[in-house]
Amino acid sequence: MIRSRAEIALSLGVVALGVGVAAVTATLPSEGGYAGIGPNFIPAVVAAGTILLGLWLSFEAFTGGWRKRDEQSEVFAPSPFLWVSAGLFAHMLLIGWAGFVVAGTVLFVCVARGFGSRRPIRDLLIALVLSVGIFLFFVKLLNVNLPAGWLAPLLGGAGI
Amino acid sequence: MEALNALLAGFGVALQPMNLMWGFIGVTLGTFVGVLPGVGPALTVAMLLPLTVKLDPTGALIMFAGIYYGAMFGGSTTTILLNTPGESASIATALEGNRMAKAGRAGPALATSAIGSFVAGTIATLLLTLLAPLVVDLALKFGPADYFALMVFAFITVAAVLGKSTVRGLTSLFLGLFLGLIGIDSQTGQARFAFGVPELLDGVDVVVLAVGLFAVGEALYVAAYQSRLAGTVEKVKGSLLMSAADWKRSWPAWLRATAIGFPFGTIPAGGAEIPTFLSYATEKKLTKHPEEFGKGAIEGVAGPEAANNASATGVLVPLLTLGIPTSATAAILLGAFQNYGLQPGPLLFDSQKDLVWGLIASLYVGNVILLILNLPLIGIWVKVLEIPKDLLYAGILVFATLGAYSLHQSWVDLATLYVFGLLGFAMRRWDIPVGPAVIGLILGPLAETQFRRALSISQGDASVFVTQPISATLLAITALLLIAPWLVRRLRRTSS
Repeated sequence: MIRSRAEIALSLGVVALGVGVAAVTATLPSEGGYAGIGPNFIPAVVAAGTILLGLWLSFEAFTGGWRKRDEQSEVFAPSPFLWVSAGLFAHMLLIGWAGFVVAGTVLFVCVARGFGSRRPIRDLLIALVLSVGIFLFFVKLLNVNLPAGWLAPLLGGAGI
Repeated sequence: MEALNALLAGFGVALQPMNLMWGFIGVTLGTFVGVLPGVGPALTVAMLLPLTVKLDPTGALIMFAGIYYGAMFGGSTTTILLNTPGESASIATALEGNRMAKAGRAGPALATSAIGSFVAGTIATLLLTLLAPLVVDLALKFGPADYFALMVFAFITVAAVLGKSTVRGLTSLFLGLFLGLIGIDSQTGQARFAFGVPELLDGVDVVVLAVGLFAVGEALYVAAYQSRLAGTVEKVKGSLLMSAADWKRSWPAWLRATAIGFPFGTIPAGGAEIPTFLSYATEKKLTKHPEEFGKGAIEGVAGPEAANNASATGVLVPLLTLGIPTSATAAILLGAFQNYGLQPGPLLFDSQKDLVWGLIASLYVGNVILLILNLPLIGIWVKVLEIPKDLLYAGILVFATLGAYSLHQSWVDLATLYVFGLLGFAMRRWDIPVGPAVIGLILGPLAETQFRRALSISQGDASVFVTQPISATLLAITALLLIAPWLVRRLRRTSS
């Protein structure tokens, strides 16, 4: 039963996406020179298609569930999911300010924790070595700009 | 003859020391990342794309060809030793390869896979060399309407015909098409769906989408469901060499598999999944040792592995000559070309002769590098396989976020990456394929351009798509592909 509730929600989500695309499309100009169609034509086609597909999915969901689905028996574990997400959010906030190495290290430790690691010190050391290595490889060898942030004095001030 | 001269000039490019080095780095890194359990070729290529941003286009694309080949091959090592296919194309290999490894014959299994990949890859590259100029000649006759029809054909086969559910495949495709609309319209300069966010004006980058769907989505999924528990890595005991009997049983399988794999690669048939299974079925049928199938028959490894590599090369035919990606991995490769302002297609063979033929020549070189590197380095790949899952996914995400961040040095791309991660998680959980979305993102804007160009030429007359012979034929085939399965079901119902 739970399975089909999620399917109904997702199907209606697809319909909603299509409606949203249609709403934005309505604000786009339609003049298009020789072609007779403007930058709003294909968005309108995509909107219509998305709505139709959403309705089709809803029909399947309401009539016994989506067809040919693999059944899943596993149970959703919220805590690992949240650890991985938290790592990604922390990384997002830290990278521009604290720098790539700090952000990458925090991300690494959080994800490892989410995957069941109980040895944060080991993870921290590996994370530091890995992110410093990647940083130097990209900045010194490949000339790709990465923010050094807090560790700029140690890392030779490369990056922004 | 002209192709031969061009190819020789191409070797001149590919064998320059710097380019040779990029090829070596590409193959090594591609194999290294490809060996990682849970990392398929599409993700490998997407994650390693940022490495090449500061290289010249020729060097970058040669490195990319190496990454592509390495990623394909790395996956099979994982399959043989760990029995957790990182990609659907390796499932056929897993059937016999892992059993050979369990029976202590990991060495010959890896050897037939490596040598078979080399043989198939080289023959397939030769076919590519011969075929590409012919397709280019044909493609030069294509007008915008024909290109549009060809793209519609590719959309429909990849999204609707292959895969379990037509409606879910199409939903994924339309999601990709929508994402492709974000940014500045190439014809009029009109901003669409960007909501004033500067990072969105550039459009959604294929790397962010692919890495979000494949890396972040996969990590969230595996974490939340604790599925894909670490298997046991089989030991590589004894000799890596194949016995005379192994050779005798392997080589016909390699050749047959090449004949199956290459054509399947050139058409939009969803990558290597179908040809590897076809090859497995063929070998099972023709073998003189049917009792060994299911217990570790070497033909069952030799065939699918060769088919996998042949089709990987076949994919490059439509990609290079027509600019049409037929798999998610090919779509990312096309994105790599676009990063350099290059649009693969018949004109590229003219305007960037050195680059294209240098790339093709580097495929021959890449196959040799792959053969030289893989067997001696097997000890390293085994170590890579033994990386525990917590550290593995942590490392993958550090690398994945780096790729997204390096685009604009902006957290907005990281937020987008997370949104795509949630999307990938949901698509994985509720069984919606992700490949069509990646193809839709890359091919959608190209299809729109051709569509509007065709209508400009015809002064807005939409009948061009059905009055021009090539376009009309392609659209008719597409319609047939969509209707045929439904029609067959109908007929079956009435007859029974």
